[in-house]
Amino acid sequence: MTFYKELVKGLWKENPIFRLVLGMCPALAVTTSVENSLGMGMAATFVLICSNIVISIFRNLIPAKVRIPCFIVVIATFVTIVDLLMNGFAHELHNSLGLFIPLIVVNCIILGRAEAFASRHPLWLSIADGIGMGIGFTLGLTVLGATREILGAGSITVWGDLKWTVAGYEPMILMILAPGGFIALGCLLGGMNHLQAIAAKRKGTIFTPPAHLDCRSCVMCKFGK
Amino acid sequence: MMESLKLVVVLTLICTVGGALLAVVHDVTAAPIAAAAVKEKNDAIMQVLPECDNNPGEDVVTVDADGQTWTFYVARKAGAFVGAAFEAVSNQGYGGDIVIMVGVNAEGSVQAIEVLAHKETPGLGAWISGESFRGQFAGRSIAETKWAVAKDGGDIDQITAATISSRAVTQAVKAGLDVCTANMTALAGNQP
Repeated sequence: MTFYKELVKGLWKENPIFRLVLGMCPALAVTTSVENSLGMGMAATFVLICSNIVISIFRNLIPAKVRIPCFIVVIATFVTIVDLLMNGFAHELHNSLGLFIPLIVVNCIILGRAEAFASRHPLWLSIADGIGMGIGFTLGLTVLGATREILGAGSITVWGDLKWTVAGYEPMILMILAPGGFIALGCLLGGMNHLQAIAAKRKGTIFTPPAHLDCRSCVMCKFGK
Repeated sequence: MMESLKLVVVLTLICTVGGALLAVVHDVTAAPIAAAAVKEKNDAIMQVLPECDNNPGEDVVTVDADGQTWTFYVARKAGAFVGAAFEAVSNQGYGGDIVIMVGVNAEGSVQAIEVLAHKETPGLGAWISGESFRGQFAGRSIAETKWAVAKDGGDIDQITAATISSRAVTQAVKAGLDVCTANMTALAGNQP
């Protein structure tokens, strides 16, 4: 039961992108298309699960004083392995993601999960956490990528075979450029808070988003009042 | 003392294991990575060249022109020269280098061009890799074409809102084609 709980919390309740707001660098940089989002998500998930496993196994052997360097070495090793394997066996994908793979090393989700979860919990729960957080991260990236690709390119293409086009839509190029990433992320975060607020109201409870994401503590627009 | 010794030992152990693991993976992937890079280049060469039966990726002629070394990949059919491909690089694009593979037939006109790498703006300059822009280079030679974009009074139609990228590609192709045309006899005469 706890296994299941740790697994699903990453999907929505503690979604790394929309709830924890971690890993913003890849979330903004690679989400220009669904294909890139999926590739980045899967690579990060693999690294996350592997590093969670190793760190959880050795959590009692790693001295607290050098834990961060130890985590980084473990994560960097797995990232380099992914980089090499992808370059050798999925060269096309490597061409479009190559620049972002090394960035997984400093991706706060992976170090964050190592520090906050894997170093304090047994192996099974850490695997569940890694899988859940990885899928949550991939989902978040894909939603963001799909939004940007539809609005910015007017179509969605996944690995060349699956192509879906919005008929008669003039693409808004801004959305696949850098500013589009910030705009799409901001709108999605705001939208999710809004939906949760409505859902909470129906149940008669009060929804409190994480303080740094709380629309009501911000006075930029009239909704903040 | 004992405590700091433990820190050193643990960190050293982790780094050693990590290093060993990477050495193994590197060993396993070195060959596929090299093969993928060669295949990628050969695919690009074959896409821009006329039909041939040799391996242009290994049939190489280098020419020095204006302090720059050009590498030509020669295509032959039944031993006869049918064309050559070369890589042209432009630093005049909107963001970083544009790498183009250009194929030239035996008459000295462009067979096809292929954009290998670029960092132009998605949705604007990125269209230089689209067929509608690349296609218009086919059949053009140095003598019978005004090598400039239409905006500058030339024969190449620029991409709307991406004149800089279009100009960069046009100039890079011309520069290489100049060298290629000037050395055509040397290329054709070269024996494998």
